[in-house]
Amino acid sequence: MLNFLGALGRYFLQKISSLGRSFVMLINVLLVKPDFKRNTLLLINEVYFVGVQSVIIILVSGLFIGMVLGLQGFNILKDFMATGSLGTLVALSIIRELGPVVAALLYAGRAGSALTAEIGQLKASEQLSALEMMAVDPLHRVIAPRFWGGVISLPLLSLLFAVIGIYGGKLVGVDWLGLDEGIFWSGMQSSVDIFDDVIPMAVKSFVFAVVCTWIALFNGYDCKPTSAGISAATTSTVVQSSLSVLGLDFILTALMF
Amino acid sequence: MNDDPIVKIENVSFSYSGKNIYHGLNVSFPRGKITAVLGPSGTGKTTVLRLIGAQLKPDCGKVLFDGVDMHALKRKELYKIRQKMSMLFQSGALFQDMNVFENTAYPLYEHTNLPHEIIRDVVMMKLEAVGMRAASKLYPSELSGGMSRRAALARAMVLDPELIMYDEPFVGQDPITKGVLVKLIADLNEALGLSSIVVTHDVKEILEIAHYVVIVAEGSVLGEGTPEEIKNSSDPRIRQFINGEFDGPYAFHLKGKDNYLEEL
Repeated sequence: MLNFLGALGRYFLQKISSLGRSFVMLINVLLVKPDFKRNTLLLINEVYFVGVQSVIIILVSGLFIGMVLGLQGFNILKDFMATGSLGTLVALSIIRELGPVVAALLYAGRAGSALTAEIGQLKASEQLSALEMMAVDPLHRVIAPRFWGGVISLPLLSLLFAVIGIYGGKLVGVDWLGLDEGIFWSGMQSSVDIFDDVIPMAVKSFVFAVVCTWIALFNGYDCKPTSAGISAATTSTVVQSSLSVLGLDFILTALMF
Repeated sequence: MNDDPIVKIENVSFSYSGKNIYHGLNVSFPRGKITAVLGPSGTGKTTVLRLIGAQLKPDCGKVLFDGVDMHALKRKELYKIRQKMSMLFQSGALFQDMNVFENTAYPLYEHTNLPHEIIRDVVMMKLEAVGMRAASKLYPSELSGGMSRRAALARAMVLDPELIMYDEPFVGQDPITKGVLVKLIADLNEALGLSSIVVTHDVKEILEIAHYVVIVAEGSVLGEGTPEEIKNSSDPRIRQFINGEFDGPYAFHLKGKDNYLEEL
């Protein structure tokens, strides 16, 4: 019994210590004085790596989710003679919830895991240590550009997801099932508000971007420098990011809507 | 030249994952000399280098580099003082997405505002010094182990540090490459007026060039002195290590709780 309590205590102490280290890392990254001369190119590289390279998966997922939403929505609304509300249903579902949440989940799986593996590999091959001994702070030169690259990219990816998702809904509802195009767009136009819907979506995306990128970078930076350690850190990134996104989504929805 | 030691470790204790690595370690590394750090595997020789570079923090005690307590510095000051030292890692730790030239030039681009032409000339001089000028366009994946170490050595000395620390520079090298690296360490230390600390298991090679030898084991310094003093030591633990005897004070069989016959 005592052994069990001891192990439990050690586990929680380790978790608290790990959380503390992650906050120290985040604060150090946020306090880095911008070095535009050296970091601009690194930032562009990171936006390309985590953002541009995630565009395909975001577009394809967004299109299919929008199409499914259009099809399900049409079939349900038809029973209530309310197919005219399909545009509203698709737009609000995607802008308020599916856009930021699914884009963040996809980002965590595609870019977050890659960031963790990359940083973990840099650590395992002593490249981070080498930077430190060259008097180059890895938090400034390696972590900060990746963090800001993620924070810039995910809101833009969410926006792309929303646009293509709405188009997917229109493709099914209007082009396939024959709903009037004017009704589809006008319903959407009258119900979607920039302050009530679009800005909260941007806020959600920004929060998810900070959390997912922070988790991914910290797991890589703090991982055991072995292949098993990198693998475990990558898995943790996907699990922790996904659960954080879903939990935070509820909190943000309760606060903003 | 200043006769004060370049590095002084005072009463340092260090533990890792609950295991006590050092308790009350006291050792000084002379300035302008090559100091070899020897000792059985797992005694924490690399830990000494990481304590000097302040990559690890001791539980208590001081590590003084050039008279400055490395662990009392703020983050910015620490990175400033690290420009005076460098480290050759066991793996080389070259940046995999950069070629040899870019790897070597990296510290100069980070810490100086020199024009590209001058950086190019400095880098080429350093690569020439380690015999790697012809390989400047090769990527780390195209290099052999020995070439990687030499390229990493060029990078380590590109900022003209006062101290270079070598972590197992001869591991996995063929006799010719080993000889090349031994000569390079000795020549560079002499020509550039550096201080060098070499952690290694290759006793024969390092005793040829070292001016001072420190043997660490069991959490503290087992013995120290000139190579001659170490070779002539009467301490059976030092003799076992220097002569590579397979059994002695350091037992071949690891200590275990169970009796061998009972376990069978």
